[in-house]
Amino acid sequence: MEFFFQQLTNGLAVGGIYALIALGYTMVYGVLKLINFAHGDLFTMGAYLGLTVLASLGLHQHLGAFGGVVVLALMIMGLVGVVGILLDRAAYKPLRESPRLSAVVSALGASIFFQNALMLVYGARYQYYPKDILPKTVINILGMPVPLMRILILAVSILMMAGLQFFIQKTKTGTAIRAAAIDQAAARLMGINVDRVIMLVFFIGPALGGAAGLMVGLYYGQINFTMGWVYGLKAFTAAIMGGIGNIPGAMLGGILLGLIEAFGAAYISLAWKDAIAFLVLIVILIVRPTGLLGERVASKV
Amino acid sequence: MKKALLSLAVLLAFAGGAFAADTVKIGLMAPLTGKWANEGQEMKQVVDLLAERLNKAGGVLGKKVEVITEDDAGDPRQGALAAQRLSTQGVVGVVGTYGSSTSEATQNIYEENGIIQIVNASTAVRLSEKGLKFFFRSCPRDDEQGIVAAKTLLGKKYKKIALLHDNTSYAKGLGEEVKHELEKAGVKPVFFDALTPGEQDYSTILTKIKKANPDVVFFSGYYPEAGLMLRQKKEMGWNVPFVGGDATNNPDLIKSAGKDAADGYLLTSPPMPGDLPSAEAKAFMKAFKAKHGRIPGSIWSVLAGDGFMVLCEAVKGAGAADSKKMADYMKTKMKNFPGLTGKLSFDAKGDRKGDVYRVYKVDAKGDFVLVK
Repeated sequence: MEFFFQQLTNGLAVGGIYALIALGYTMVYGVLKLINFAHGDLFTMGAYLGLTVLASLGLHQHLGAFGGVVVLALMIMGLVGVVGILLDRAAYKPLRESPRLSAVVSALGASIFFQNALMLVYGARYQYYPKDILPKTVINILGMPVPLMRILILAVSILMMAGLQFFIQKTKTGTAIRAAAIDQAAARLMGINVDRVIMLVFFIGPALGGAAGLMVGLYYGQINFTMGWVYGLKAFTAAIMGGIGNIPGAMLGGILLGLIEAFGAAYISLAWKDAIAFLVLIVILIVRPTGLLGERVASKV
Repeated sequence: MKKALLSLAVLLAFAGGAFAADTVKIGLMAPLTGKWANEGQEMKQVVDLLAERLNKAGGVLGKKVEVITEDDAGDPRQGALAAQRLSTQGVVGVVGTYGSSTSEATQNIYEENGIIQIVNASTAVRLSEKGLKFFFRSCPRDDEQGIVAAKTLLGKKYKKIALLHDNTSYAKGLGEEVKHELEKAGVKPVFFDALTPGEQDYSTILTKIKKANPDVVFFSGYYPEAGLMLRQKKEMGWNVPFVGGDATNNPDLIKSAGKDAADGYLLTSPPMPGDLPSAEAKAFMKAFKAKHGRIPGSIWSVLAGDGFMVLCEAVKGAGAADSKKMADYMKTKMKNFPGLTGKLSFDAKGDRKGDVYRVYKVDAKGDFVLVK
């Protein structure tokens, strides 16, 4: 039983990260019907920018561990969000009226561009975060040692997702985003500035992805320029699992994928972990082709 | 205008061909981009510097040596393309590459084109068991490392041993070799499975291995994963000793794990660049440091340098840049050629002869120290 709970916490921490990245895929898809394949690399960029800001400003020395990390996170989210908007302007906006396939190819191109740009700027070697920023506290839950940071990662992810959900459902801007997701032309006729909505979506999604990248960097400590590929692929899978275009779906899909991976590895086979995860994806898509929560079209974003 | 340009291009192509005959062309296939880019870029630095020094000293048989580099990106598909490109450029031999999977994808391309391939870090056993005429390695093979690793594990009287690899040709080969050696000695591993490389969170795997309650864990994969596992196992409060293979032989392991978590980690490896005893090695390290500000971080890039020197020596020994004569020379006549990593000779399969592996330990300061 202890083994089960240990694996549960392992799966939840990873699942929280997947969910946070999956939101970026699902929001862009909801509004533009575009898979932003460069999203995984924006996640990587969050990790790299975090390291740069950390090393050059030394925030945690001036503001303490907690304050430093919070300010750092806000800065990174802002920076990666702006990169997201620039990405849209450069790679997707000129193709808005083109067939969807062109935009997908452009997205793949942008992904390769980001990866190689990061390699050229930072070098091909792995980069390492300083080891003394986060507390190494381990707390006991039911007699089981769980690192505090694992719980915090999950908590922060859930908090951000809840904030986003509130923003989308309860605010005027959120309503505009939902309207644009349902029908862009009609939204425009209702006086909604759809271009602004798209810009906002390309800010929020990458900002969340960047925050996930920063968390990975801070907690695991080791980043490299290709890591966005694996995380991006997993998060994309999570988005599809939950129903792409659907925000609660992305959260559910992310957490679920983390758990499937952890339990698949724990009870079936380590080496087959990814195969098991994708097998579950296939089964879900056979049973529910729109994903787990994909059918609630009204709440689509 | 177009015609004029075309004829000019043709003329230049011919001229290029004529010049080419005056140089000995050696290929270098290395992962200049991709996940092993730092290894690949250092391979190029080492080989380029050796070529520069050799050419300054007059080249081979009065000809300059020209190094033609192709990027394999650490990927078998890219590797096959790189091999095909090299094969059309008149190289007599190729140094590289790093990963066994990539080398395996290129072996037959070189064999069919009659080009010598001398790999510098591909240690998977089966690469040299295919009866290829033009395949060599300057690095040892996994079974040699497997024997040394198993000896180390058994020498410490461990009874319950967990083995973990990462499903790459290299790590799986080494893992199976160690398993085989242990079973020969009557010790059956309590755990044998693979992780997925390139991820960040290995706590699921560690939790699972912990359940098997081993005395020691042997990991045959690479340093990024090893570093993360050392750190995460410490975080879990699990004090099992870790032993690793030579792919964890990289100073970045300490940066990844942190000094406290890496303390006491054992690994089997060929000697590190800074520990190489020969005069040739010391002189080269000095020159490398003068040029790049540091000595090479990886022994594999130095082994690429040895591969390059062996090829040049073989041109000299065979009296011509003729790959068939060179291969014969390397297998039969080359005896104890003084390379950077020690004396080089090759057996009939093209494998390097002699014992290369050592046991290293990470000390509390985060340095790799040679054990005995």
